[in-house]
Amino acid sequence: MSVVILQDEIVHYEVLGRGRPLILLHGWVGSWRYWIPTMQAVSITFRAYSIDLWGFGDTAKEPSRYSINQQTSLLVDFLDKMGIAKVALVGHGLGALVALNFTVQHPEVVDRLMVISSPLGSEMVNARMRTANPTELADWLLGRVPAAESARMEVPKTDLQSITISLNELQELDILKLSMQLNTACLFVYGQNDPAITVPQYEVFTSLPERTHQIVLEQSGHFPMLDESSKFNRLLADFLSLPSGESPRQLQLKEEWKRRVR
Amino acid sequence: MAKILIAEDERDIRDLITFTLRFAGHDVVAAANGEEAVEKALKEKPDLVLMDVRMPRMTGYEACKKMKSEESIKHIPIIFLSAKGQDSEVTAGLDAGAVEYILKPFSPDQLTERVRTILKQYGK
Repeated sequence: MSVVILQDEIVHYEVLGRGRPLILLHGWVGSWRYWIPTMQAVSITFRAYSIDLWGFGDTAKEPSRYSINQQTSLLVDFLDKMGIAKVALVGHGLGALVALNFTVQHPEVVDRLMVISSPLGSEMVNARMRTANPTELADWLLGRVPAAESARMEVPKTDLQSITISLNELQELDILKLSMQLNTACLFVYGQNDPAITVPQYEVFTSLPERTHQIVLEQSGHFPMLDESSKFNRLLADFLSLPSGESPRQLQLKEEWKRRVR
Repeated sequence: MAKILIAEDERDIRDLITFTLRFAGHDVVAAANGEEAVEKALKEKPDLVLMDVRMPRMTGYEACKKMKSEESIKHIPIIFLSAKGQDSEVTAGLDAGAVEYILKPFSPDQLTERVRTILKQYGK
């Protein structure tokens, strides 16, 4: 297990691969662990870091750090500690909001951003997200694929307050307005069958900056990286291989792809 | 879960296999060549060895023969990682004392499942 001390507290992360840095941020259900297949897929060309946010997995539990801004400051300090000056960010759910917030605050650091299963407003979040405990959320949202079982193992480590505090904060946060400020290549990814987060109407994205794009995986729920892992990994590989600064608007879903060891 | 020794000279592949098996719950020890693999097998006494055929300093075959000649570790099952289409490699590996081979390319999921099956066969 790899840990780093940030703000006098333990932050757990794992890393795989060599190459340009890529940071993976988990959502409200689970921990770093469900990024394992993604890390395996990209490790040939990227150094993929996956971090447990405050209150999740093996990172410290301290409710005063559970706001989206505090989670963002974890990312700021992590990049500083690792000496990372330019990064590709991939965030899911809560991690997507943190990544989005970070990108707006530090656009010079983020080369590209993938935002997965992120609400664009508090009304897009199913009320059950605020009332269920972490185990109930996992039972509701995680599928039955082997990687999901691995993610489920970590769920009991979650501090429920880390979920509720950030979800309550959503009511004050105008995510759409935040997205309007993006000047970084950004790909929004959703699962068509996500019961937790409503997929935004296509028209919403036409109002976003030029270098943003939306893709919906039709067979996925809240966890596209697990529900359709090969298709998701192919999309991520295509996004990461775009020239820096290029809009992702020409990206589309292609045949499935799987990393194989030669 | 088991203690597994990985011997693979290509760092990217070694790291990926180590990561994959570690987070499948195994205790993983890694070696970058055949000589180091023998040293670590003697020291760590793993439940299983996964070894590439073509490695510097000491090939997988030589390392396998060496392990099979050591009383304290000769019972450990050894599996070779062999390139698809290299039938001669597979035969030479089995002759050297390996019990199985896994053909490259393989996906991380396939590796995890194969290792699980093999460990079960050997009562681990």
